[in-house]
Amino acid sequence: MNEYKPSTGQGHDVHIVSYREHASTFIALILLTVMTVTVSVFGADLYTLTVLTALAIASGKAIVVALYFMHLKYDLKIFRAMLWVVIVLFIVFAALTLADYMIRN
Amino acid sequence: MNMDTTFVLPNSGHNRDDMSSKMGMWLFLFTELLLFGGLFLVYMIYRFMYHEDFLEASLELNVWMGTINTVVLLTSSMTVAMSITAMQKGNSQLSLRLIWVTIFAAGIFLVIKFFEWSAKFEHGLFPGMEHYGHLANGERLFYFLYFFMTGLHALHVIIGGIFLLYVIRAIQKQKIRKDKYMLLENSGLYWHLVDLIWIYLFPLFYLIN
Amino acid sequence: MSTHATTPDLTFFQVAKGIRSWIFTLDHKRIALLYFYSIVAFFLVGVILGFLMRLELIAPGKTIVEAHTYNQLFTLHGVIMIFLFIIPVVPAIFGNFFLPIMLGTDDVSFPRVNLISWYLYILGGVMALLTLVVGDGPPDTGWTFYAPYSVKTGTNVSLAVLAAFILGFSSILTGLNFIVTIHRLRYPGMTFFKMPLFAWSLYATAWIQVLATPIVGITLLMIVAERAFGVGLFDPSIGGDPILYQHLFWIYSHPAVYIMVLPAMGIISEIIPTFSQRTIFGYKAIAYSSLAIAFVGYFVWGHHMFTSGMSGPARIIFSILTFLVAIPSAVKVFNWVATMYKGSIDVKPPMLYAMAFIFQFLIGGLTGLVIGALATDVHLHDTYFVVGHFHYVMFGGTGFAFFGAIHYWFPKIWGRMYNVSWANIAFTILFVGFNILYFPMLILGMMGMPRRYYDYLPEFQFLNMISTVGSWILIIGMIIMIVNLINGYRKGAVAPRNPWGGVTLEWQTKSPPPLQNFDKAPEVSEHGPYDFK
Repeated sequence: MNEYKPSTGQGHDVHIVSYREHASTFIALILLTVMTVTVSVFGADLYTLTVLTALAIASGKAIVVALYFMHLKYDLKIFRAMLWVVIVLFIVFAALTLADYMIRN
Repeated sequence: MNMDTTFVLPNSGHNRDDMSSKMGMWLFLFTELLLFGGLFLVYMIYRFMYHEDFLEASLELNVWMGTINTVVLLTSSMTVAMSITAMQKGNSQLSLRLIWVTIFAAGIFLVIKFFEWSAKFEHGLFPGMEHYGHLANGERLFYFLYFFMTGLHALHVIIGGIFLLYVIRAIQKQKIRKDKYMLLENSGLYWHLVDLIWIYLFPLFYLIN
Repeated sequence: MSTHATTPDLTFFQVAKGIRSWIFTLDHKRIALLYFYSIVAFFLVGVILGFLMRLELIAPGKTIVEAHTYNQLFTLHGVIMIFLFIIPVVPAIFGNFFLPIMLGTDDVSFPRVNLISWYLYILGGVMALLTLVVGDGPPDTGWTFYAPYSVKTGTNVSLAVLAAFILGFSSILTGLNFIVTIHRLRYPGMTFFKMPLFAWSLYATAWIQVLATPIVGITLLMIVAERAFGVGLFDPSIGGDPILYQHLFWIYSHPAVYIMVLPAMGIISEIIPTFSQRTIFGYKAIAYSSLAIAFVGYFVWGHHMFTSGMSGPARIIFSILTFLVAIPSAVKVFNWVATMYKGSIDVKPPMLYAMAFIFQFLIGGLTGLVIGALATDVHLHDTYFVVGHFHYVMFGGTGFAFFGAIHYWFPKIWGRMYNVSWANIAFTILFVGFNILYFPMLILGMMGMPRRYYDYLPEFQFLNMISTVGSWILIIGMIIMIVNLINGYRKGAVAPRNPWGGVTLEWQTKSPPPLQNFDKAPEVSEHGPYDFK
């Protein structure tokens, strides 16, 4: 796992994301936003399902932002690996804490 | 001083390299994610406990203003990402303009937030104000979390904006160039974090159906 | 990074003089020493507070202070010892000094961030001490600041809590720096699995510092907000849940104890091979166990809340996870002992402290299992058994590892040797005093004496008196240790490059090291970091 590389201008492969790709990412995000607002305003009384749907769409947007705008898709794998650790950690914190409350009620 | 006999380690000075800089920024972003994460945990528990109150309170929020703010931030993420593309292609001028657009978008976001908050103050809905004191427990928790979380987020919008202003100066002084733009990339990463947090704040506060 | 235009003949002390060259330094070695002096200063304040507490407890009833003052004493003792001593002590001092050297590089990845983290440490420390003199005095809530009392009490909770927030930020920056340094600045040929185990322990610790600390940061901000706006986040009378505060608080504070102990274990993993003149037994197992402790340690926080009102099944889950985290710790202990087997043991002061660590950490760890088990914890929670347990691991463990590290790396840092005989005497008195001070607490807890009480039933008096006498013996031992070290610093014999026969990279360079750490290319063995020929 020796990552020592002599210092270059970038230190990683220079991949230039085109303006078009950024615009497409933006459109995708807008569509997801429209979806989430529509589900909420017109979607009605789904309660838990509404929360889960909203979180799912939000997470979809987050993944798009992270992979494309934040360049994770094209960066070295170590960055994605580190982010996974953070995500898993947070999910377990939330799950264990929520479990306590759900069982108590 | 005699430099000829000085021994220099092979990786000396490499703490300047871009990969390290990017890694440092990502680690810092992780701390921000977990900082807000703690608040999201509190939100999650209290929404679970006070579902009805949360729904009731959220009706006071203006979905359309929230949606506009979401679109504004998404646009600003696009423009800051494009500014990096421009810099990579050697087009400093375009890069500079795109960053100005990003900052402008941040400004719009804050202005809309200002109007939203003012409306709440007018209705006495801030912790400590009169109407707030008469609300049900769950509603009060909702509003406190709303102000705390959007307030902390707005603080990060301001910090991000200042960071971008600094970047503008650096571009003008040619400290950020086609072959050296890690600072711009890092500021972009920070900006996307600000966008990411809002992506979750928006549905959780405005779209509780 | 500072200029290379200095000859390797000068030590890092000699390249620049004057206070400005210290306060604005970017040299990781000087920053380590800035931390050393400030951390030791705060440690001594914490010791004095502990001494006063034990004086109060030598007899039932009021001895020297009122109940309210006693509450403030133990709160400040806890805040100082935890946030200003135990958490930063090993990473900020020995991590900063030796991590770059052990990796074969000349500084950490972000030297300016390193300096800022020290500034934040000083700021947080000053704020914590300020609580002594402003307003209603230091908080009386215990270092855990449990709601709702922490929201209602008139003492300086907000100031103390903001101090902790700043100190947390300092800790985060140190961790962030170390992670990037370890990933990016290892000497060519030094893979992750050729790094010394001290570096591994700092790596695992750094991840905890970066990921767990923000959660307590935001929780403390919520306490301040609740005090300011009276919101009821954790106040049951207005709809909040105090147990939620405990969840958030312990989500950080449990992993925090691994921040405290992992680097100390890293030190033991360095000392034992050197003073056994054998390669460490099970290098990879120890490396992985550091990561395992860090990882599993995130998920056991509920064991601090068994009697709080948490749900039954949740308690069982946390108890099981707690037992799991003991396993990698045991792996380390077995491996250290196995390293010593058939080794050529050199009983010098660092080795004495390391062996004491193993003995005391064992007691601390086993008593931890007793309170990790749900059924026994119900009886022992908030008793002196817990106090004995954590002092065995934190003081008997990390504290002694810290003393051992000082005695191990003293010649390298200051280029002089201390008097070994006096160091041995100091160690013996310290060791005896420590155990007389804390072992009775385990018994007192089982007898039922509650913690954080300034008064107690007459049947507890005898053991309390013994414990207090132990504290005096301990302090005498510490004084002798400190005086001996200062003498060594001022007039000790000049130390060679490698007084102990160690094989990690720091022993190849001069004592003290030059500014750029090495005066000739370090030799990285292809057989790993503990290559004893």
